[in-house]
Amino acid sequence: MQKVVLYTDFVSKLKEIFVKSSLDTIFYLPTTSYRYKKVVKEEDFYNIPFTSIRMIDPIKTFLFKHKENLVSQDIPYNQISTIYVVGVKSCDINALNVLNNMFITEEYVDPNYSYWQKKLFIISSDCPYPQENCFCSIIKGTPYPVSSFDINISFIDENNFILESGSEKGEEFLSTYFGDKDSPTKNDIEKRNNIRNLAVRKIKEFNKEYIEEKTSGMSQEVYYKIVSSFEQHQDIWKKESLSCVQCLGCNYICPSCYCFLIRENSNSYKEQFRDRVWDSCHSTGYGRVAGGANPRKFKFQRFRNRYLCKFVFRKENFGFYGCTGCGRCIEVCPAKIDMRKVIRNLVLSKGEQVLV
Amino acid sequence: MNIYQPKNFQIVKIIQETPNIKTFTLKPLNGDKFSFQTGQFIELTVYGVGEAPFTPSSSPYKTETIDVTIMRVGRMTEVLHSMKEGDIVGVRGPYGKGYPVEKFESEEVLILGGGVGMAPLRSLLLTLIENIKRYKKVVLCYGARTPQDIVYKHLFPEWRKVKGLEILRSVDKCEQGEWDETVGVVTCLLDKVNVNTTNCKAVVCGPPIMMKFSTLKLLDMGFKPENIYLSMERNMSCGLGKCGHCQIGSYFICKDGPVFTWEQLKNIPEPFE
Ligand SMILES: Cc1cc2nc3c(=O)[nH]c(=O)nc-3n(C[C@H](O)[C@H](O)[C@H](O)COP(=O)(O)OP(=O)(O)OC[C@H]3O[C@@H](n4cnc5c(N)ncnc54)[C@H](O)[C@@H]3O)c2cc1C
Ligand code: SF4
Ligand code: SF4
Ligand code: FES
Repeated sequence: MQKVVLYTDFVSKLKEIFVKSSLDTIFYLPTTSYRYKKVVKEEDFYNIPFTSIRMIDPIKTFLFKHKENLVSQDIPYNQISTIYVVGVKSCDINALNVLNNMFITEEYVDPNYSYWQKKLFIISSDCPYPQENCFCSIIKGTPYPVSSFDINISFIDENNFILESGSEKGEEFLSTYFGDKDSPTKNDIEKRNNIRNLAVRKIKEFNKEYIEEKTSGMSQEVYYKIVSSFEQHQDIWKKESLSCVQCLGCNYICPSCYCFLIRENSNSYKEQFRDRVWDSCHSTGYGRVAGGANPRKFKFQRFRNRYLCKFVFRKENFGFYGCTGCGRCIEVCPAKIDMRKVIRNLVLSKGEQVLV
Repeated sequence: MNIYQPKNFQIVKIIQETPNIKTFTLKPLNGDKFSFQTGQFIELTVYGVGEAPFTPSSSPYKTETIDVTIMRVGRMTEVLHSMKEGDIVGVRGPYGKGYPVEKFESEEVLILGGGVGMAPLRSLLLTLIENIKRYKKVVLCYGARTPQDIVYKHLFPEWRKVKGLEILRSVDKCEQGEWDETVGVVTCLLDKVNVNTTNCKAVVCGPPIMMKFSTLKLLDMGFKPENIYLSMERNMSCGLGKCGHCQIGSYFICKDGPVFTWEQLKNIPEPFE
């Protein structure tokens, strides 16, 4: 279902839902300082930057907490019924696909993740103004969500939104609150699509150094396949990882990195306690086994592993990349390592040999 | 049922196999049975200390109790070794895929074990012995550092009586007169093995270095990559295919393994370390 809604109408409706709901409903809004803000008062709905790029907080923080109990009886905040997260971007929606595929499988459903997932109501929005570290559409994404949201906001102009439902929950939301609104006209859609196409072009422009000129004619598939021909390229990986200080920031900030470590801390078998914390494949002890053997002993191996995991292994597992191009790891890196450059350098130095 | 919560098992028996290896017999505290396929593993918890993966070494035909044979190598296993009969531990699982025993039927099977790597292989061996006539021939090659480090010493005399099962053993080093079988690393036993290498299945478990050289030697002897089964060890945390720790290439050892054929692993960087 698609409805054309005025910016002001939409915001007052959100406000209304907030005011009417009891404490069991939580709203998170994007802010101009790029952090999600938990709404506490009506005024917080003033000036929501729907058109901003993704927040700093990755989407996983809503489903897969940095530290959470695993076996205690009561998951905290039991009284929550709905968590609205507003302004989620396409790159984070795609990251959710990675997380869903890991945490909810036919064999084993992660209780904590699925608990939060059921509460989440995602109101995503298009990115008309991508920034220089955005590269979603370079790796098979788009700067606008196409599925896996409850409601998506796209833009006709400054005042008019198209609200689109992408789930049953979203459909219900739309018909309850905006059932009386018009569906978009052909003209509306065209205007919206122009804005979308412009965003794609912008991303291409920002990233031209990393694809078009430097790898002329090379398809994306081949481009990333090169990452996988690791063995021959040890020297390059060593060089590229030289300045990495292993702060683990890139793993923690990544919306699709999900590794965790279980910590057993029971008092006794009768009083069990264990929790999990985010873990990082960059840390030395991550792969260490009994007696100190370590399959990724050297920094370059761990550094390389992150690229392999995202561009090769997850692709083999799920058919899509583990990286969604959000650019967070580029911004967080104290050594200014830019994964786009790393891959380009690989291609430039060994690309041709790999292609044959 | 919470997938992260262990069930309580009682240690009902402890056998000191070697100076640093013990076999623990565990029984579900609530009287349930515990079923697994040979080669699958469990996550064993020492409450308050840690949790680590181990492969049951008992026969899957026995479901009242399970045996785990554990080497003392670090923090958690150290505490485990100090535990007594009657103590309670936690068990999650079984996890992973077992040995594809059905593929071994009517074939020759070569089992190659090193050190405590004999643990999962004992479970496999007991499974094969149960129906030994189904296999053309079973050969066990087992190597340990010294005669003292040999596990399951009390079981070998029995196994030697099994028709259709051939056993070869080696130790890396020994005192004079202490050992009348082969001296040398376990791969040297392969020179004495008489099997048709083009069809024979080989099952290997042991320390990384032993796995590496065994694989190379088996390939050299003409074994096919898809006929070499390797028990891979990686750091594990969840055992459920979620935490990422056990990744090896695009596989998760806990979910897709722990047993892999060399065919699956040959293109992965540094599979053994
Ligand atoms: C599938 C599988 C089956 C196994 N079966 C057996 C068996 O039958 N018998 C046997 O003796 N050993 C077996 N092992 C090895 C056994 O898991 C390790 O010896 C054990 O984890 C060591 O724990 P530790 O705390 O005593 O060692 P330490 O060396 O002190 O470990 C220190 C820390 O490193 C981490 N660590 C080390 N090794 C591992 C690991 N493999 N997984 C997760 N974390 C680890 C832990 O966090 C631990 O706290 C198996 C391993 C795997 C993967
Ligand atoms: S990477 Fe794409 S989807 Fe993500 S914020 Fe940037 S433009 Fe939006
Ligand atoms: S690897 Fe970097 S760019 Fe890709 S999804 Fe993770 S944080 Fe974003
Ligand atoms: S042990 Fe967690 S994914 Fe395998």
